[in-house]
Amino acid sequence: MAQPKLSLKEKYQLMTRGLDWETTYQPMDKVFPYDKYEGIKIKNWDKWEDPFRLTMEAYWKYQAEKERKLYAILDSFSQNNGQLNLSDARYMTAIKLWLQGITPLEYYAHRGFAHVGRQFRGAGARVACQMQALDELRHAQTQMHAFSHYNKHFGGFHQANHLRDRAWYLSIPKSFFEDAMGAGPFEFVTSISFAFEYVLTNLLFMPFVSGAAYNGDIATTTFGFSAQSDESRHMTLGIEVVKFVLEQHEDNVPIMQRYIDKWFWRGYRLLALVGTMMDYMLPRKVMSWAEAWGIYWEENGFALFNDLSRYGIRMPKYHEVATKEKMHITHQAWSVFYTACPATGFHTWLPQPYEMDWLSDKYGETFDRFYRPRFELFGQMEKAGNRFFTNRLPLVCQTCQVPDFFTEVDNPMKQSVRHYQWKGMKFNFCSDGCKDIFVNEPEKFCQAYIPPQQIYQGNAGGARTLPEYAAWLRCPMGSEAGDYYSSDDYQNWLKWHGGKDTTPSTAAA
Amino acid sequence: MSYQLTIEPLGETIEVEEGQRVLDACLRAGIWLPYACHHGLCGTCKVQVLDGELEHTADASSFALMDIERSEGKCLACASVLLSDCVIEADIDPEPDAENHAVRDFTARVSRIEVLTPTIKAIFLEAPGGLAFQAGQYLNVDVPGFGDARAFSLASNPRHCHELELNVRHVAGGIATTYLCEQLRVGDAVRCSGPFGRFFIRHSAPEPLLFLAGGSGLSSPKSMILELLERGDERAVMLVYGARCRSELYYAELFETLAAHHAHFTYVPVLSEPATDDAWTGEIGWVHEVAARLFNGRFDGHKAYLCGPPAMIEACVRTLMQGRLFERDIYMEKFLTAADAAQGLARSPLFRRL
Repeated sequence: MAQPKLSLKEKYQLMTRGLDWETTYQPMDKVFPYDKYEGIKIKNWDKWEDPFRLTMEAYWKYQAEKERKLYAILDSFSQNNGQLNLSDARYMTAIKLWLQGITPLEYYAHRGFAHVGRQFRGAGARVACQMQALDELRHAQTQMHAFSHYNKHFGGFHQANHLRDRAWYLSIPKSFFEDAMGAGPFEFVTSISFAFEYVLTNLLFMPFVSGAAYNGDIATTTFGFSAQSDESRHMTLGIEVVKFVLEQHEDNVPIMQRYIDKWFWRGYRLLALVGTMMDYMLPRKVMSWAEAWGIYWEENGFALFNDLSRYGIRMPKYHEVATKEKMHITHQAWSVFYTACPATGFHTWLPQPYEMDWLSDKYGETFDRFYRPRFELFGQMEKAGNRFFTNRLPLVCQTCQVPDFFTEVDNPMKQSVRHYQWKGMKFNFCSDGCKDIFVNEPEKFCQAYIPPQQIYQGNAGGARTLPEYAAWLRCPMGSEAGDYYSSDDYQNWLKWHGGKDTTPSTAAA
Repeated sequence: MSYQLTIEPLGETIEVEEGQRVLDACLRAGIWLPYACHHGLCGTCKVQVLDGELEHTADASSFALMDIERSEGKCLACASVLLSDCVIEADIDPEPDAENHAVRDFTARVSRIEVLTPTIKAIFLEAPGGLAFQAGQYLNVDVPGFGDARAFSLASNPRHCHELELNVRHVAGGIATTYLCEQLRVGDAVRCSGPFGRFFIRHSAPEPLLFLAGGSGLSSPKSMILELLERGDERAVMLVYGARCRSELYYAELFETLAAHHAHFTYVPVLSEPATDDAWTGEIGWVHEVAARLFNGRFDGHKAYLCGPPAMIEACVRTLMQGRLFERDIYMEKFLTAADAAQGLARSPLFRRL
């Protein structure tokens, strides 16, 4: 009988065996000091199944070809003045926010995976994390390159690193990742690979990449395609991590449940920014936040948690709150961005008439009753030459660091605020979900660097007022911040189009 | 026009229709390949072409399948169609215990029909020249006037394969089961094809075996247990079988006799709703509950084989997993009726086989 063929898995095992030897000069616990203190018990690292068995040689080849393709398209986009074919220059606000807020997260992910890629004592998990660390570095880099063309033509792109360090609203994504990186290796991979890259990734990538395609941004669309083939590897890693840990020991189940509860809620709060981009920053709309939440969470997420319930894992805590809030949060967030834009690195505006109709269509009575009147009032104030700007710093949630614009789930007229007293200090939260996270880890979250408090304490270059703070941000009104229709971006856009306002009259691409 | 597709390292060969995508053909033939997006974007279903020619459809992304990969003969199963007979190598686990019997189309003759319960009949078929199959596999039976063939697990011992036994539960209003249970007579000819399926005993695994079965899902466990005991396997084997009431419990005497003769075989019949005149002193409840009690809620170190209606399977999978037995140690063949499939919840990629 012919020798049966080795499976690819067996071939890979033969090639990589011995990478996780038992150390003898130093005890294993000293060589891998971080992978036990979380309480996660691993009985047998050999049960780890490498989701993607990739050699370094193949990895370089694939990624090199991807980058050749991506950069060819970026070159042609820039040589052909691709920025002129955007749906509208308002779209740039979405990309500015991405470069300022999300691209640094790719770099954080690189650092985080490089760290845990050293800390697991199982070789399979280490290698998967090391490969992902390389992917994330490439994503940070290729995003910057994809957006760099816009820096020649629009404000808001030239100092993303500076803004990342200083801008209050960027503490939302930053604190998310710093929390993950400050956690143990198992919590890190659960938070990033599972909760974020698997459970919530479609909510991030789909609107971003489709939004770019709908709005004529070929550069970003192509970046999205080049990253998506990596994302499938990252998602598979997320699934493998969770299955592996849950199957290793029953004591791991409650720990993983706590991680899933925490990181579902943290991820969801972060995605409020993405939802706002979908509903308000894309001149051509892909789908509403509420629709995306319905498809990607209520359908796909429920299917996932139905499967996970076999392990004794239940739905993440407060998922029903997130689903009820889907009709509200983007309108609330945009109201804050609209009024707070003098102290940001982007421009905002009121929804145009076609967008108001689209929002009414997508959000029905919720929009017409609670948010349309607010935008109409803002519109009247604009007409009277009195555009409304916030001149105070907001109350910010101690956990998610989002300004507390959220309302009670069953009463959209009442602000949702929670308090917790700990060691003589009063801490404020936007929700029960964020309060619970603090209560579980008060020593960690009491140290959060909350921008308004820090500004008032003089830690923002001594700024005491919003204009002083905006100056410290290096974001003057017009070129970097403030209302879109009084911005340099808008004036330039008109000039490039022979004075013609290209604002679309319909949401469809 | 169709082509033959061989999938390594399984060594299985399937028919692929012209224009049919490789992934679809494999999944329809019961061969699971890793996949995710299903439209050429993510690269999860990448396979190596070893022989033959195929062509990518327009949705195969040049990022998911790079030029160097194309030139190395890689292809995306979800976005390719065959242009000739082909051999591919996929990233799947080989099964050392699979016997891979060739599928045959044949006409069998009904040799006996026995009433097992008020709703289940045993139909015995004589296949010309017998049929080589592996315990746990199924036959597709053509039902006149019924579009698709219907699948029935083989209940007979594969070591005595001249007479094939099918157990058929009469589903009220079901065209196929009405034909088989009400109209079919001894001597009638029945068009069959098979054997199919990859539900079989992992003889090479040393763990004790636990069979959880319900309703008319006793066929495969019966065939498997008969074969196991006959080949002198010494491992502990337990069968927990659930029926509604005493009259629906079938082959009880057979399994009691086997248990009496084989100290390592345990038979646990369970009734969910015993009738008042059943005088039932055995287990009452659901299969998964009884199994959990018998095993003190811990199943690690076993191999479990499940057969029965979807709700029973799901309850058993949950009980086993919460008792620390996971996907790699659980085997099953799902019996899906059209109604079950329509009600089915969307599934995530968390599990491959369960």
